[in-house]
Amino acid sequence: MLNIFKKRTTSKKYASELTFESARYGELKVGHNDKANVDVEVVSRHKVDPEYRVGGVLDQEQRNNWKAWLYLAPVLILMAVFLIYPLIDTIIIAFMRNYNYVKGTFDGFTFDNFGAILGLTTINGATETRVVQYALPNTFILVFITVPVSIAIALIISVLLNSIKFLQKIFQVVFFLPYVTNTIAIGMVFSVIFDSNGLINYIFNLGDFKWIYGASRAVAMIPLCLYIVWSALPFKILILLSGLQGIDKQYYDAAKIDSTPKWKVLTKITIPALSPQILYLMVTSFIGAFKEYASIVGLFGQAGTTQGSYELYTIVYYIYDNLNTNTSFAAAAAVLLFCIILVFTFFQLRVSKKRVYY
Amino acid sequence: MEIKLKNLTKVFPGNPKKHIRDTVAVNNLNIDIPDGQLVGLLGPSGCGKSTTLYMLSGLQLPTSGEVWFGDEEVTNLSPEKRGIGLVFQNYALYPHMTIYKNVEFPLTNLKVEVPLVCFYDYVITYTYKMEKDDNVEGIKRSIITLLSKVGFDKKQYKLTIEDKDGILNIIINLYSVNEKNYDLFDKNFGRIIKVASKDAKKTQASDALYDVTIRGTYGENVADEVGETKALKAKLHDFKKNLSEVKVYNDLKGVTNYLVIINKVTDKEIDAIKAQLTSLNLKVVTFKKDVAVTYRKLNKVERSDIVHDVARLVQIEEYLERKPSQLSGGQQQRVAIARALVKKPKVLLLDEPLSNLDARLRLQTREEIRRIQHNTGITTVFVTHDQEEAMSICDLIVVMKNGIQQQIDAPQKVYNDPKNLFVAQFLGNPPINVFNGKIKGKGVFIGDECIYKTKKDIKDQDVYVAIRPEGFTLNKDKDTKNTLTGDAEMIQVLGRDLSIIVNNPECLKPNFKVIITNESDAIKGKVSLVVKPNKLFVFDKTTEERIYLD
Repeated sequence: MLNIFKKRTTSKKYASELTFESARYGELKVGHNDKANVDVEVVSRHKVDPEYRVGGVLDQEQRNNWKAWLYLAPVLILMAVFLIYPLIDTIIIAFMRNYNYVKGTFDGFTFDNFGAILGLTTINGATETRVVQYALPNTFILVFITVPVSIAIALIISVLLNSIKFLQKIFQVVFFLPYVTNTIAIGMVFSVIFDSNGLINYIFNLGDFKWIYGASRAVAMIPLCLYIVWSALPFKILILLSGLQGIDKQYYDAAKIDSTPKWKVLTKITIPALSPQILYLMVTSFIGAFKEYASIVGLFGQAGTTQGSYELYTIVYYIYDNLNTNTSFAAAAAVLLFCIILVFTFFQLRVSKKRVYY
Repeated sequence: MEIKLKNLTKVFPGNPKKHIRDTVAVNNLNIDIPDGQLVGLLGPSGCGKSTTLYMLSGLQLPTSGEVWFGDEEVTNLSPEKRGIGLVFQNYALYPHMTIYKNVEFPLTNLKVEVPLVCFYDYVITYTYKMEKDDNVEGIKRSIITLLSKVGFDKKQYKLTIEDKDGILNIIINLYSVNEKNYDLFDKNFGRIIKVASKDAKKTQASDALYDVTIRGTYGENVADEVGETKALKAKLHDFKKNLSEVKVYNDLKGVTNYLVIINKVTDKEIDAIKAQLTSLNLKVVTFKKDVAVTYRKLNKVERSDIVHDVARLVQIEEYLERKPSQLSGGQQQRVAIARALVKKPKVLLLDEPLSNLDARLRLQTREEIRRIQHNTGITTVFVTHDQEEAMSICDLIVVMKNGIQQQIDAPQKVYNDPKNLFVAQFLGNPPINVFNGKIKGKGVFIGDECIYKTKKDIKDQDVYVAIRPEGFTLNKDKDTKNTLTGDAEMIQVLGRDLSIIVNNPECLKPNFKVIITNESDAIKGKVSLVVKPNKLFVFDKTTEERIYLD
């Protein structure tokens, strides 16, 4: 007589346990009816009690379930309170008309907030132009200049660092130091360096050229980008250097035997081998650059090069500026930024499928 | 290419502060590898065989000694200049490239010599009557393929096709091409298209260029060699841009000589130089003129041809578009060999090529290596710790231990005629049986039993006696002298053979193994064995060197 035991499970571990047990009991069929579920069927000649053995595994899992949730609880609660609730709330607020965050009152839902920040609809007789004119272009300029430049420079520095033996550790520390330094503090140092009486003007003999206060928007972008690139380097160097040290030395030996020129070793072997790290840096630093804010505060102390101007606005700067006065506008801008980043990251991951080699 | 290693030594320095001693990986190695042979470096791990291979490749430099490839000393030459192919133990295929790209990669760096003979411009006009199935695009494409296969660069040709009511005027302009290449092109053009008429105009584009070395005696004896060199340089300033070396020097006899090397000059210029030297009263003693060369990279079509040829040789043609991770170990191995072979190296080096493969694949791949080596005739050196591997495919085996070479011989010779105890023990499966024995009055004794009588005069001494497992026969005749007796403990049937485990107090291990054919009838208990003289080796007790009995 055959004993047949059927079970449907979502656990791969459970299925593999069964596979192991089946060697003793007889035949086992494992079928996948869809992505999540695994159908398991044990057919055995022997008088066995599959419920006891196999069910034991299942019980064990069920028993451990609540423990797992318990361990995860602190993180889940924190995430729910500080991440998921604000996220949903922000999205809701972005659609509220005349929202008052003190009283919590609003007059129904609308798309007007998005129209207003993009300058499409007029609110109270005024048109908001700062987002389209300053915040969006500035953000995109910073993203598309600082991210590629900082990754390229970090790549060069880490390849050079990796190729030296002498003093390598010391240089590694030197290059990592900016990472542990306060953003605002670095920004203040930069603003001193780029002051009209500062170091840069002195070294390059530029008189009292205005880099920061009273500079034009285009000129002000230069110290800003330099500063962002400089403070972004250490983390990137750290990641790339650890990636470089994981590359098999034999690839380089093989390349050496084939008399490969150095630049070709870099472009054909090193960079493809580093592509997972480069992708990671691309995704994270694009997201980071879209959220640029602290560097502007650090360097300029305000949203523009002169008092009361907004020419160095970024999206996040706009959000913070309007948080108390126009909460719905700030929320709409946040949702807009979220969508931009989402599309952008999705696009990067799509492209990377062809370009990244694991 | 013949390879010679002379007194090759490699020492990895230790650290005296941490009490780490220097490691002598290779010690005074002398090996001559004849051209076109497959040589195996064999030894246990840590014996220096891989280090030797890396010194051959140039990835590691020897502490002392010399490496010669043919007539050229390459000891301190960097790897890329040695013309070698190296297959790494874990293959080191670039994981992000397809197999095709992997194999092609060395070729993209390769530069081929182009002799700077006379170059010509050609204008060739063919007329061709279109037939039913012809189309102009197809004809154009096949002509372009031919042009690039002959080796013409895109800049070197211009192809125009005029269609006049089914009669094609094919005009090909060739710029600065070698006469030989033109002939090759012309010959093959006839094969692809049957033309009605042909008209070729040839004009010389450039003169042939030569590298010239002139040696001779100086008119007078000079004391100031450096100053005179400068003066001669100044006098030859007309040829300044081609001048690569000018030297005035006194030889041992006190005669002042001079040396002038000029690169890439035409016949006319050579005459001018000669005239100049004569006018300076310098006598020409030797005059050497070679065709100058320049270098170019291989073009895409040439590379593709070579890749496909090599892929065919190692039988990976069908995998060319895959990535290394999509291939099995054996296939990856062959790709690695293809990548090493594609440059047509003079020497192929393989570092433990089979150690990453499973047993069955190992058998298959080693025959593959032998076949590829046989077909290409490249001098090949490979490193292995597996004696069977080395025995089965090598022409020559180098047995190494602790950085010292023990024996170099053909595989059968190494097995049948080991030079010392280590070689005897290292080769053979099951391993050789070693006994404490002695030589007394021209007899070889194990315990009290004399197993062999020699005619040679050998002084009485304690020795190691080693006998291969297959070196015994059962003694049926009770009267036979010179036998070894023991206690048969176990009899194993191995199909074709019988294996008898025999106890003997003089054996270094508790018991020893005897392998005889299964036709003999062995029983447990006391056995008497006759030793075959050619399977018996005697070694010195202290030096472990072989003592030859005959």
